[in-house]
Amino acid sequence: MDIKQEIRGYVAEHFVPGGHGLEDTTPLASGGLIDSIGMLGLISFMESRFGVEFMPRDLDAQALDNLDRIAALIDRKLAAKGS
Amino acid sequence: MATPSAIAVEEEDRCTSFEELLRSARALAATLRARGVRPGDRVALVLPKTTEAVAAVFGCLLAGAVYVPIHPRWPADRVATVVADCGARLIFEVAEGDVRLAGGQGTAPSAAPPLPERSEEDAAVILFTSGSTGRPKGVVLSHRAVAAFVRWSAAEFGIGAADRIVCPSPLGFDLSTFDLFNMALCGATCVLAPESIAWMPRFLVRYAAAKRVTAWYSVPSILSRMVRDGGMGPGSCPDLRVVLFAGEPISGSDLALLTAAVPGALCANLYGPTETNVVTFYRIPGEFDKAEPPPIGRACPFAKVLLDDATGELLAGGESLMSGYWNRPDDNARAFASRNGRVYYRTGDRVRLDGSGNLVFAGRLDRQVKRHGYRIELGEIEMAISRNPAILEVAVVAAPGQDKGVVITAFIAAASSASLSLLEVKAHCAAVLPPYMVPDRVVFLDAVPRGTRGKIDYSALEKLARE
Repeated sequence: MDIKQEIRGYVAEHFVPGGHGLEDTTPLASGGLIDSIGMLGLISFMESRFGVEFMPRDLDAQALDNLDRIAALIDRKLAAKGS
Repeated sequence: MATPSAIAVEEEDRCTSFEELLRSARALAATLRARGVRPGDRVALVLPKTTEAVAAVFGCLLAGAVYVPIHPRWPADRVATVVADCGARLIFEVAEGDVRLAGGQGTAPSAAPPLPERSEEDAAVILFTSGSTGRPKGVVLSHRAVAAFVRWSAAEFGIGAADRIVCPSPLGFDLSTFDLFNMALCGATCVLAPESIAWMPRFLVRYAAAKRVTAWYSVPSILSRMVRDGGMGPGSCPDLRVVLFAGEPISGSDLALLTAAVPGALCANLYGPTETNVVTFYRIPGEFDKAEPPPIGRACPFAKVLLDDATGELLAGGESLMSGYWNRPDDNARAFASRNGRVYYRTGDRVRLDGSGNLVFAGRLDRQVKRHGYRIELGEIEMAISRNPAILEVAVVAAPGQDKGVVITAFIAAASSASLSLLEVKAHCAAVLPPYMVPDRVVFLDAVPRGTRGKIDYSALEKLARE
């Protein structure tokens, strides 16, 4: 499973119809694409899809601002879970 | 007088006593005065709601200054506009993790004269709210206006030194007068929720439980999410004894969940625009079981409200009424109405009386909307979007969304259809508007539909937006 592709799919479906121009480094919150309520939905999706749990310290706007960073965060969470 | 060693402000991992808070506030007041701040001068607080920000509020007030809270996540442009508009003498802002003071407008500092006697009518705070002509408007609230609400809320809800209050709204919301000043008035503890969790329901529920919060005041959107998605149910927040909400209607079904989650707690729907703070309230009777939102209730004892017979608009006045908009004579001329020698604010809210004598909110008379509890003028979004030279025409409408909320759609006609993408429009919006005002959807049109007189046909666009 490609984590980033799945997240991209969710973001495209909910926030960028057609996904045109949605790159791995496109700013999501600071680019006006996802607001805090939208982020809540994205986090719920990732928690159920990847079996990870977000903590308050993960909710840094910068750390969740593009697909690269979000995928890296999920990778770290999965690695921590596996160890 | 509160016990000096009692906790005035509590954050995730630190506590500040009344003694310590007063000491910081006095030191800040001395600094402000030494830097030339005179009574009545404005001081901008571009700060998240932290202990430092609370100290800054009281520091300003002790110096006789007017505090102007500005959200640090607003675009730099909007912050600069508001700072210039209110002529702030000094600015508190966060730089590299520390709060620091920066110069605003004004003259060189000189020796501070003794503080003159302050009057109740002097301004205490200016709250900036969305303006339909594209520029935020500053609502000036006097000490009298703020105190009217705070004193009443303390008495009505029995706030005391044992209370631990959470108000997860930024400082620039009038809701934030409840926790800050009941702390000062009653010796209660102001428990600050980290802003990062303000929209994360399960973290907020855990935080309220872990901090043994007794009194809560927020917009309904936050409470709705806590009871629907945050696991808030019977027993999860056993210390909560007062739950207040204001800013938008709460659905009957969410209110039923809420009253079931906090059995025995006093729940109340408070109503009032920023211009008057709270002017009516409705205590929720026991377990709520109606499908429709609760009424906004009856006038608070310090307030006067009446209905304009012709339009059904609610006029609100009394002790909590604003002094006016800062530096906006035209808006002030429109904002107030005089009836029987008394001054009222035209709320723009249509209100009716129900069978039991309670007032019920029935919609707006203009293009102002509430989304997640934030007040938004659709005209301000249009003005902001039209600042992009690639955009020829823009019209913004709000329509009910699937999840009970409001969905804002921007209809845009661009200079050439290939020239502008959704991402570019969104990025432009994020650069000129606060995050909560960025439209949910962008729809490109060849031209914005207009009526025979050339006016934008908003009803046609609303139909389009619902599809």
